[in-house]
Amino acid sequence: MAMLADVKKRTVRINGCVASAQAAKYADVDVIAAYPIRPYTATMMALAQMVANGELDAEYIVADSEHSQLSIAHGAASSGARVFTGSSGVGVQFAYELYSPISGSRMPVQMMIADRTLDPPGDFGSEHTDALSTRDMGWLMGWSCDAQEAFDNHLIAYRIGEDPRVLLPQMVCQDGFFVSHITGDVELPDTGQVKEFLPPYKHPYPLDPRHPVSHGPQIMPEQGPPLQLERARAMEESMAVIEEVHDEFAKIFGRRYDPWIEEFMTDDAEVVFFLQGAHAVTARYAIQHMRDRGLKVGMVRLRTIRPYPTDRVKDVLSKFKVVGVIETNMGIGGVSSGGVLYAEVVAALYESQKRPLVLSFMAGMGGEAIVLKEFYWMTEKMMDVQKRGKIEKRTHWVGFEE
Amino acid sequence: MSTKGTHIPDRLKIPFAGITPAPSQEKGQDLFPTGNWRSIRPVYRDKLPPCNNACGTNEKIQGYLDLVKRGKYLDAYALIKEDMPFPSVTGRVCYHPCEQACNRGKYDEAISIRAVERFLGDLGQALTHDVVKAGKSNGKKVAVVGSGPAGHSAAYQLARLGYQVTILEKSPKAGGLNRGGIPDWVLPAHVLDREIERLVELGITIKTNVEVGKDVTWDDLKKNYDASVLAVGLTEPNSVRAEGENKDGVLYGLPFLRDIGMGTSKVKLGARVAVIGGGNTAIDCAREALRQGAVEVTMITVEASPEEMPAVPEDLHDMREEGVELLHGRAVTAVLGNGKIEALQLHPARFSGAINASPITVDREAPAERFAVDNVIIAVGQRASLKWLPDEFKTERGTIKIDRFGRLGDTNIFAAGDVVQLGAGQPLMVVNAVGDGKRVAFNLDKVMRGETLQPRTIAVDVIFDLNRMNMTYFPHFPRVQQDLLPPASRKKTQDEVIQSFSEEQAIEEASRCFSCGTCNACDNCYLVCPEPCIARPERSNGMYKILVDYCKGCRVCIEECPTGCLEGVPELDFDTGVVRMDTAFAISPGLHGRQAEELRNLGDRAAKNI
Repeated sequence: MAMLADVKKRTVRINGCVASAQAAKYADVDVIAAYPIRPYTATMMALAQMVANGELDAEYIVADSEHSQLSIAHGAASSGARVFTGSSGVGVQFAYELYSPISGSRMPVQMMIADRTLDPPGDFGSEHTDALSTRDMGWLMGWSCDAQEAFDNHLIAYRIGEDPRVLLPQMVCQDGFFVSHITGDVELPDTGQVKEFLPPYKHPYPLDPRHPVSHGPQIMPEQGPPLQLERARAMEESMAVIEEVHDEFAKIFGRRYDPWIEEFMTDDAEVVFFLQGAHAVTARYAIQHMRDRGLKVGMVRLRTIRPYPTDRVKDVLSKFKVVGVIETNMGIGGVSSGGVLYAEVVAALYESQKRPLVLSFMAGMGGEAIVLKEFYWMTEKMMDVQKRGKIEKRTHWVGFEE
Repeated sequence: MSTKGTHIPDRLKIPFAGITPAPSQEKGQDLFPTGNWRSIRPVYRDKLPPCNNACGTNEKIQGYLDLVKRGKYLDAYALIKEDMPFPSVTGRVCYHPCEQACNRGKYDEAISIRAVERFLGDLGQALTHDVVKAGKSNGKKVAVVGSGPAGHSAAYQLARLGYQVTILEKSPKAGGLNRGGIPDWVLPAHVLDREIERLVELGITIKTNVEVGKDVTWDDLKKNYDASVLAVGLTEPNSVRAEGENKDGVLYGLPFLRDIGMGTSKVKLGARVAVIGGGNTAIDCAREALRQGAVEVTMITVEASPEEMPAVPEDLHDMREEGVELLHGRAVTAVLGNGKIEALQLHPARFSGAINASPITVDREAPAERFAVDNVIIAVGQRASLKWLPDEFKTERGTIKIDRFGRLGDTNIFAAGDVVQLGAGQPLMVVNAVGDGKRVAFNLDKVMRGETLQPRTIAVDVIFDLNRMNMTYFPHFPRVQQDLLPPASRKKTQDEVIQSFSEEQAIEEASRCFSCGTCNACDNCYLVCPEPCIARPERSNGMYKILVDYCKGCRVCIEECPTGCLEGVPELDFDTGVVRMDTAFAISPGLHGRQAEELRNLGDRAAKNI
């Protein structure tokens, strides 16, 4: 690991893509596996410049596809390198084969996702379906809602994923364009802070000609379950590590995030939105407006979906009368016939003594912004359900109904 | 927490993420025996089948049996002709050390190799033009002295190498021992004549009635030829050193047979004939005596039993079927009679050593036996006549002194056959003389081309152990027997006793071959490989290829290879350098060897016993 040049803390105005690139630089990654696809491309462009300028000493490998990109990342991590890669939309899908092998071999590869709607037709807009479709592959996963959070999440994810108790890959997601291409103030830390927070990566069994080991052997069927159990255990036990790391991050950098959930104006709220990522920014604004008009509305933002904080979701959401899940993803023909987040919420609430009514809102699809009047419309729907005490229509396609 | 309270039983305890020592490391294969990527790779490495190894001229026996099996008779004949000029002759007369060595003999019955050879030899006889052609002339002249098996073989190979060969034969007809030492009812004269014709077709000049030392001197040989091969054989019969051995009616084995073979015999045998000696020539003499009119033929041997006789068991059996009696444990101590033989005086005798070439101990204290005979044929071996040879090239045992390459000092003269092999430790037989002639021809060629003669250094792996093959693939199947003329009728004629194989018999017998240690394109590896690792452009011996990129080293192909030509070679240790190759390799030259010549030596670096 090359030594990070000493830099003092400073605030810059950059977009999410560049914030991610900066985070990779501060993490002093060893190998970057790149392949372009909008909107995440800007991250790799920024990193390419950093490597070219000598700001970052890393192997920058341009792959011939996302599949190769992740294969390179897998191999590099196996040899003991800290790896950074990323993708968007269909690019995330093209690399699908590698997600389970990477987590199964317990390689803490980090992948930055700037969401993009899946084809067809070609749509640059943000939708979480690309990353969410890989949610059960054994990767740590969560969404940021702005550039600063994106920057922070990258460092936090490396620290968690590389912890010897965890050793799992991480998908650090941000909405395409809403985060990736919108600039905001980002506080870049002092180099010393990062050194203190993120020790060098060390895999216990790297590929090394001097100490030959065998990764990914063919196994007998009966040897599969113990390995799956261990991988599941690592994911579950990462929850304690995640909380520990967030505490430490707050101590060193002065920014405290709840690792699982951000609550906004929920103290006396009766109806709440439940969502991930960038639309939280609009939601906060809309909620403030509605509060001014006396509506008891709030927001719960999920920060980490894998591992999924089941009990926390249950406890938090049980306080309310109605929950409106803003999906921003596709789960065609699923539980809600809308998105996949609804199922996660409802399942968490099933054992609650005080279950709220849950609606699913298909909003922010295809990368469309969720505008204020749509938040008002959704709030009306939730309040209507609250008044009636029952759900007549579970899923709403926002913007397509009266 | 789904994993809370879970417990992995000890037998399924697995290292972190299934990461284990590399396959090349200790215990690297323990945990995942079916596929912790390959620690051994299969390689096709042809062994030497025991038949090829035992053959005096190293005929590619397994090779031609395989071709016969497929009906490729002409290819089989061409293959045999690489090492053997006259398969029609050896197919009849050879004492077939190959069959004694045949691994099938340990399983049920040895392959009847000689009969298949004869089938091919007779096919060759029928060809208008032989498959063998003379080599491009190099303008050099070589004399071959003697036209017996060794001389014939040397002349044949030298002609193929491009030499202008002249055979000098002292008899009126060419053929040497093939003509003069082997009766017609074993080898009909017309068969040998045809093989002699083949030599002439190769451009070889045959000068008969030319005797070295008389018609041609030692200096003539050196002056008139660029090089020479001496293959004069053993022409002088040994005596039994018995009193009165010079009486009328005392005959010697080889001259007896030779005169009959050359058509110059004036012998008229009496009714009672004794043959002295227990070897193959003695057997031929006894059986020939019956055909020359003898009524009672007795074979008198020092050996105490038939088992001890240095003879081929089948021939001994056939002889006894024809009515020849055996008298064991006796030596002739005197030939009795007044000018003409009337009886033999016999005393008990045995060999003083363990082998029948050791000196004989005769018990003269015991009472002598009188054995009445009209003729005796003494067949107790023969020796060379080398009066013409400079003394420096003579050995104490009366043979020609040569170096390990068959060369006389630093001359361009070589010697081959019985005249050098007598007493050298291996039995004297036609096929050994042929092999000697062949090797000497190649050595002579090297000298002529200015190359250094070097002993062979390639280690030969002969496959003797049936456990190195997969015997489950070979059902028991009896040997196909050659037909014989009935003893009663055959013993009075010169008709060939042993009959030829039919085409069906030849195929049936060739199909019994195990193809020991040598790929015979059975396709088993191709079929059993669980991955698509065995490739073959066409089904052809030795042309299979292992795609090691896909091979998991599961050994299935190795275990299931019937012939044992597939073996597992450990991957070279990661620490000492990994060698990648995309093709199989073989250690001994052969079809596989040609696939990856440069990799042949790799096997030496691999551990044995895997």
